[in-house]
Amino acid sequence: MHEDNSIMTTQINETTRYFDYLAQGYAIREDLPSAYREVWNKIAHAGNWWRGEQRVAIAKEVRVARQCKLCSTRKSALSPYAVEGRHDSASDLSSTAVDAIHRLATDASRLTRDWLVNLNQQGLSQEEYVELLGIVVAVLSIDAFHRSMGFALETLPAPFAGVTSQYRPDSARDGEAWVPGIQAKLAVGKEAGLYEGSKQVPGVIMAMSLVPDSVRMQTCLSGVMYLKIDDIADFSKNGDRKISRTQMELLAARVSSLSDCFY
Amino acid sequence: MLRASTAIEGSEVDLQVVTSGRSTAGGLPAEAELVSFVEAALGDDTDAISATRNILREKLGAEALVDAAAVIANFQRVVVIADGTGLPLDKPIALITVGIREELGIDEYGSARHTPKLGFFMRMIGLGLNMVLPMIVKRMVK
Repeated sequence: MHEDNSIMTTQINETTRYFDYLAQGYAIREDLPSAYREVWNKIAHAGNWWRGEQRVAIAKEVRVARQCKLCSTRKSALSPYAVEGRHDSASDLSSTAVDAIHRLATDASRLTRDWLVNLNQQGLSQEEYVELLGIVVAVLSIDAFHRSMGFALETLPAPFAGVTSQYRPDSARDGEAWVPGIQAKLAVGKEAGLYEGSKQVPGVIMAMSLVPDSVRMQTCLSGVMYLKIDDIADFSKNGDRKISRTQMELLAARVSSLSDCFY
Repeated sequence: MLRASTAIEGSEVDLQVVTSGRSTAGGLPAEAELVSFVEAALGDDTDAISATRNILREKLGAEALVDAAAVIANFQRVVVIADGTGLPLDKPIALITVGIREELGIDEYGSARHTPKLGFFMRMIGLGLNMVLPMIVKRMVK
């Protein structure tokens, strides 16, 4: 892990051992760094709608957003829409993409459907948005784990060359969320196994399904940081953690409340 | 989810702790330490994070600390997905949690606008279900 926890990437090949907690003297159950490594690897490669270099740039912007002056001013304003300006940015991503990343990373509870429609009108497609969101939340979450454990942030991965697949699942339908998704019963064919066979799929998982690989990235993290999909609705399960299910749910509920999140 | 898990484990949690951070019951092991750790973790004060982390490690052990940090980080991801996609509560959840949401004032959160308000009759049904929720959850698990 790199001492400078800002925005560095590193030119190392695919065998680079990221999240090597043991080498740093921390004994952490292995499934966590293993999942984090998998996510880092996914971020570094071309996705459905963003190339590897763009995906790593999105990750970099998540970290920049924490120090962005415009984001800080907007966050303290009565309405984020009352404050104009330019984000502090460290990438060549479009200003629309940068705004999406910074708002998601710093002020998500005040986002509106109109905001997203406006992004779409400015050229950021729904598919691009969902893939971008998946990267933002993965980096936010892994960084948050590091901060709360007192670890330096992991160096971001070096991107790999490759082309986007432009894959959009036919089974994605408009629903109640702002973006289309795949219902559990429609997760067949290429999407069979997307929800690990579960029929009780949490909305937050389904919400990412316009880009199925984003679902896979979220379930990879969720399975080790919280619970596997099938265990979520079984309140007797705690994933063999060292805290009880009630303690887990207390933490979850307090995070939601502090984040002003109704969900 | 919190209420359902307390029903299964038979633990006592004052749900006010969710919104206020303070509990009058404090019946859950290390409840205050867990809440303090969450509150620090969501802020920028590294000294506070370090202090609450050390207290929690002493209270529950190093492995439990890792599990707690992972859950907190997981839900920092979940809330942004929910807010970033305008996700409403699943209908059954919206129905059975109506009483708790009203009691805790959660319906006043900005992102509550993504979930349609229940009509009078559905609200009454929800309040009724709320009372028998622990029994329903126990039966589901069996």
